[in-house]
Amino acid sequence: MAHYIHFRDPTSMEIEKQLEGIPKCPGTCFFIDVINSTDIKYKSELKDWGKRLNNTFNFISFLNDLPENVVKGIGDELMLYIPDEDLFSKTAYNNYFGLIGEIHATIENLVNFPLEDTFLQCKVSIHYCTEVYNITFFENANDYYGMDIDLTARLMSKAKANRIVMSEKFFTKVKNDMIDNNIRIENTSLADLSGVYMEDFKGVPWPTEYRYIDVKEM
Amino acid sequence: MEITLNKSGDTNVVCIEGRLDTTNYGELEAQLTGLTDKNEKIILMDLSKMEYISSSGLRILLIFLKKLKAVEGRFMLCGMSAEIRDIFEISGFVNIFEIFDDKEAALNS
Repeated sequence: MAHYIHFRDPTSMEIEKQLEGIPKCPGTCFFIDVINSTDIKYKSELKDWGKRLNNTFNFISFLNDLPENVVKGIGDELMLYIPDEDLFSKTAYNNYFGLIGEIHATIENLVNFPLEDTFLQCKVSIHYCTEVYNITFFENANDYYGMDIDLTARLMSKAKANRIVMSEKFFTKVKNDMIDNNIRIENTSLADLSGVYMEDFKGVPWPTEYRYIDVKEM
Repeated sequence: MEITLNKSGDTNVVCIEGRLDTTNYGELEAQLTGLTDKNEKIILMDLSKMEYISSSGLRILLIFLKKLKAVEGRFMLCGMSAEIRDIFEISGFVNIFEIFDDKEAALNS
């Protein structure tokens, strides 16, 4: 449950005290954005694009044991956040390697689904967050704030259709899981993962390392 | 997960017991590849003992559906519990596979 922050007095000292007491909430953030979402609204009717959005969001959230982790939909983009304690207690997967494996499989299933006009293609950005707080400024809402959330959103600028962009910080977590479980990357869905790139993202005061993988047609 | 292979006429019956997810989909992929490498064209997946299937598991089924369709073969599913069927419905996979209530119905089809 998010810490609800609400003070009527803009000069209140109490708000600073309350904010200082809020713990960090490390975990994995990802954004999933629908490709050409504006385009399809001009080319089809609500009954068509609404259905495909419904199908796509269901596929992403329910089939990956993630409905509780959907923070919000922002237009045609989903923000999901999985606190570490939540990830480690999931039954469908319980580590970072399992998580990226299922996300990759999801995008691959969407790309290769044989019936046309059922799903929409997506792009994904993923980052492992340490500078993040489970707070909200709106009653009964859930949200996460912090510079790592902003960085996850910035990573999306390097994504395109059927591409998963992940920060090196997240990939390090995945790599550690593979080492712990004696898994070789060439035997996984990450076999075609790119080399590491470095980019200065707007507002981020230091360069960010990232990798990507393009999900292919079967 | 345990995988059991049996043959009934021309049909290869592959029974999956337990969970099919990102930790073990490679085992199923290897078994199914073994069959298609031998030019087997009819595969029936018996899911009556399946407890859970994740996106990784669905991906493997989709790969082999496409492989067998390309050679005019059949890739059938049977014996789904209500929970497994729910996953297939949400994913839309009920619309792309031949699905039967049980093994007998599939073998007689």
